[in-house]
Amino acid sequence: MKTMKMAMLVLLGSIVVVPAATAQIKHIEMRVEGMT
Amino acid sequence: MKQHLGRQSGVQNVEVSLRDGKVDVTPKEDGQIDPAQLLKATYDSGVTAAEMDVTARGKIVKDQSGGLALQVAPNRSFMLTPNELSKGLESLADTPTFVTVRGQLYQKPPGKKKPEPPATFKLLILEVLKKE
Repeated sequence: MKTMKMAMLVLLGSIVVVPAATAQIKHIEMRVEGMT
Repeated sequence: MKQHLGRQSGVQNVEVSLRDGKVDVTPKEDGQIDPAQLLKATYDSGVTAAEMDVTARGKIVKDQSGGLALQVAPNRSFMLTPNELSKGLESLADTPTFVTVRGQLYQKPPGKKKPEPPATFKLLILEVLKKE
């Protein structure tokens, strides 16, 4: 029963955490002036 | 400049092309990268950022004023500059759908040699790459 509760907690946690973690800045490109 | 930018938090890799005047920054997956900090670090290294483009994945949200924003981290979102592409994303506002977009986050104001970095960034979407 305890194992079942733990499994449910892990499952719920992953549902909540994963979408938030996948939002991110993937790449940044800058054009700069004055670089030698 | 490569070393200077590489030391900023959230930066995994920096590639500098002297010939094109381009700097490619690959962020870490920890979401800690801060465009304002990058711009400042660029100025501090003695060059001027003329333009900054980002590719970002996030959710479309509506802010308090009813404008659209792209939320790229729980504590970070960029207001969207209204255009045809942003209008096309309006129906996704406050839904669980993730979008990946490429857009312009900063452009140096004309005529200024070394302008102050903006207090807030507005993202002008140039391309919608994915909706999922």
